[in-house]
Amino acid sequence: MRLAALAAVVAAALALSASALGACAKPKVSLAKMEGEVMCPICHTTLDQSDSLAAQQIEQFISARIARCESESQIKTALVANYGTVILAAPPGRGFDLLVWWLPLGGIVLAALLVAFGAWRWRRARVPEPETELDPETERQLDELLARFD
Amino acid sequence: MRTLKLTGQVVALAAVAGMLALLVWRLTHESHPPKIGGPAPQFSALRLRGDGRLALQSLRGKAVVVNFFQSYCVPCKAEAPALQQAYTQYRKDGVVFVGVDYWDSIAEGRKFVEHHGVTYPVVRDPGGSVADRYGVTGTPETFFINRQGRLVGDHILGPINQGSNRSLFRESMAQAVKRS
Repeated sequence: MRLAALAAVVAAALALSASALGACAKPKVSLAKMEGEVMCPICHTTLDQSDSLAAQQIEQFISARIARCESESQIKTALVANYGTVILAAPPGRGFDLLVWWLPLGGIVLAALLVAFGAWRWRRARVPEPETELDPETERQLDELLARFD
Repeated sequence: MRTLKLTGQVVALAAVAGMLALLVWRLTHESHPPKIGGPAPQFSALRLRGDGRLALQSLRGKAVVVNFFQSYCVPCKAEAPALQQAYTQYRKDGVVFVGVDYWDSIAEGRKFVEHHGVTYPVVRDPGGSVADRYGVTGTPETFFINRQGRLVGDHILGPINQGSNRSLFRESMAQAVKRS
């Protein structure tokens, strides 16, 4: 009985110390990955390209959340709530920002269709060159000329 | 064939028109500093401490000092005590100070105002849209609005308590509080 109580106390103490330290046994995302996807709004570069105080503050913000086992999307949501969408290196895939993703794709498809259409038309327009026949007089003169070489 | 050709031309024209519209949109939405003497850009933003919003419109009839800052900005830390002191000095003249904490973490912003004993209202500008409207180029930056809601004096780039900014601050404050 006393042993069980002791074990429970030790387990509780361990759990408390782990949460107090804010440790996450298995982080869902790394700081290095986030640094490439999050902007430093002041320096207009991603965090991994900046050593400014702003970048350092944002890195701390992210590290604290990684330590709380938050996922990438949870951290990004928190970042946007604090710093606005300018904090994301890639715009979110919804609303008006969707255009950023779909417009280039649409452009590529449209360009491919135009090229295909152009090629099809070009092939259809190609007609075989008509065989040109020599008039009898020219043919006779050519025969005479060739006969001299025989 | 004619229909296809026509469709192609319409698509090409639409693409060019779209590009032109984007260019015009970009040019018209670029941040330019507002004109001194012109109306101060309006804003309504969430308060950093407590709930609710603060709208500049609600301060009409009062002289307003708008100070843009960030918790991680070193010159802002140097300026904060002087700004709070100025607020204490000028509030009896009916001057309202408004801090705008932009591109900053809410928690760090709150720590900043608490640490520096800031008592005037502070709002959050997470996306920097208010800062954009004022054409803010760095922090700290301070603007002065008179009782008629017009920008007066010079906007101050850098701490108000350093070098020539001291006299600039006094002159701009005098213009803001002047009753016409």
